[in-house]
Amino acid sequence: MSTIKILHMYADMLDLYGDSGNMEVFSYRCKMRGIECIVDKYSIDSPMPDFSAYDLIYIGGGADLEQQHISADLLKCREGIAKAYKAGTFLFLICGGYQLMGKYYRDADGNDIPGLGLFDYYTVAPNSRRKRCIGNIVIKTNITGTPVEVVGFENHGGQTQGVKTPFGKVLYGNGNCSKSEAEGYCEKNVIATYLHGPCLSKNPEITDYMIGYCLSRSSGENITLKQLDDKLEKDCRSVMLQRLLKK
Amino acid sequence: MKRLQILIGKIIVKMLHLMKRNAGNLPGIVLWHISRHKAVSMFKVDCPIIAVTGTNGKTSVTNCIAQLFERSGKKIITNREGNNLDTGICSLLLRHCDMKGRVKADYLILETDESHVPVVYSQLKLDTLIVLDFFRDQLDRNGEMETLIQKINGFCKTFKGNLLLNGDDPNTARLGRANPDNKNIKYFHAEPYAYATNTVFEASEGRFCPFCGETLTYDYYQYSHIGKFHCPKCRFGNYEPYITASRIDLDKPVFTADGHTYSPKLNSIYNVYNMTAVAGAAKLYNIRQDIVDSVISSYTVKNGRMESFMLGDRKTTLNLAKNPVGANMTLRVMNEMKGEKELLFVLNDNVADGLDVSWIWDINFSIFERVTRVVTSGTRAYDIAVRIKCSGYDQANIFVRPDLDKAVEELAKTPGRKFVIANYTAVQPTRAALKRYISRNGGKTE
Repeated sequence: MSTIKILHMYADMLDLYGDSGNMEVFSYRCKMRGIECIVDKYSIDSPMPDFSAYDLIYIGGGADLEQQHISADLLKCREGIAKAYKAGTFLFLICGGYQLMGKYYRDADGNDIPGLGLFDYYTVAPNSRRKRCIGNIVIKTNITGTPVEVVGFENHGGQTQGVKTPFGKVLYGNGNCSKSEAEGYCEKNVIATYLHGPCLSKNPEITDYMIGYCLSRSSGENITLKQLDDKLEKDCRSVMLQRLLKK
Repeated sequence: MKRLQILIGKIIVKMLHLMKRNAGNLPGIVLWHISRHKAVSMFKVDCPIIAVTGTNGKTSVTNCIAQLFERSGKKIITNREGNNLDTGICSLLLRHCDMKGRVKADYLILETDESHVPVVYSQLKLDTLIVLDFFRDQLDRNGEMETLIQKINGFCKTFKGNLLLNGDDPNTARLGRANPDNKNIKYFHAEPYAYATNTVFEASEGRFCPFCGETLTYDYYQYSHIGKFHCPKCRFGNYEPYITASRIDLDKPVFTADGHTYSPKLNSIYNVYNMTAVAGAAKLYNIRQDIVDSVISSYTVKNGRMESFMLGDRKTTLNLAKNPVGANMTLRVMNEMKGEKELLFVLNDNVADGLDVSWIWDINFSIFERVTRVVTSGTRAYDIAVRIKCSGYDQANIFVRPDLDKAVEELAKTPGRKFVIANYTAVQPTRAALKRYISRNGGKTE
């Protein structure tokens, strides 16, 4: 039986808008295919893990206070995460997790929280806490090789700039900045996005892309996944697409 | 100017009444605009004001406290219909004031929305503030929960009146440190009940000490993050309770507070906390014991809060769940019940619900026991179906029926015990659909 090892970082602190549900969806889709999925947790008190031993590292989003709490700890993990990422470990990052992998996060009071600087983008929060990008969002991504419309929910103050390779094109909602065209950041082994909902709940292609990536990388072969019955997920998404995109 | 504004407000109230329309919010909204957002300060209130706030339980606790004073023969003004924003409170006072804006009563008992506490009570002198709990609820309206707590904390910094706090909720209990000069801070507390756990059972917030960042230590969890906690580093949470619920037995149901045994009608740990807050308020205002007894033992709720229906001969319980805590509570009640049962979950995402439905992922569905079928409905019927499916529940037993009448028909098709969970804007349409079913097919309402 093949196995996927996931490190879920700060699950106890960064879990807004059902972000931990992503792990539930991921595990569920593995289980239905007989793939073993091990999710280890790392948080502030944990011993330093061997990041490179994992197929995927997952970080969710949190409120400002929680993000400040973990940022110093996350910096200590910089070297380990950078090494794993360069060796091909998949990074799946939501909201706060996305922001903290960039150069810095400047909060509403003008203080900089340093990021890991793995990527070139940076995030600036608006001066007013009221100015947030909140609502349903639809993007179109090509990460899987065929265009997929991804539906989620965004709620962020931070405006992320300097993204060269976005996760998708915004069809409805805000994206990286207020009313912007691009959403998130991606590489072949990185998905960083503001989409909550949780993100994977009605976008099974994205989960399967990551599962496929992890299995292909560890086996060295191009793995084709067994199809699952996704009728509920697809109906769920099409209800939202109808509602949000109809002219 | 002030008189004119009040006159305009009163005319609107009158007109709405003549048109047989509910004057819940609109007069207040108009007054709010013409007074440049200082509407509440129009009114002159000399009697003590008691405000109840928190995520869950506001309506119950407000109604019970209102009854305490009513049965004591006092003239009270209260927002029974739950219009709890500044504009709603403003409309209420408009209906009860004279042309000079004077409000005549012995007590004002006001359910107040969490985010409106500072704005309302910076303009009206508050005698007692009761804070029940803070949970994730309608996050996209209030911004993040921390911002909300900070807002109320800011108000508490200068507040010197009675502050009655849920001492078992760290999010709430922290308000007790906002003003070190306030000598009137009181905590209500409950000892563990039969289903209290040693580890946290449902997704929760507030795991860390808000003062020093240390992980909080819990002696027990009652539900979600509510339980006996303390901070091992800065001792946050070590307080002497003002009133404690003990010997809680939900099978009867009974509990004891201040040496007195109460027999409430509702058998949830929620209700024990709410009623302990009510008993705390009664203690503050020296309400006669027989009156406290009669209020606590007779209090029951309708409007989809553990409301019973018979769909033909199928016993059905409807419960409102605005957030994961409410939903988890219903699932627990459902699980603790023997025999097979079926669930209908109605999920809407209208503005008043909060547009975001991801809170359903904080509901612990993996505990399902003997649940033979699930029907889902509402504007987000598919979201809740996917959520239940991913918890490991066989999708062959999930039936999505976005139309409510079809959903109720689907639910009633098979024999056995039924549970219905509906979120905020779904609850009234769901009641209506249940009643329509009953009028077509027989059965009865409570």
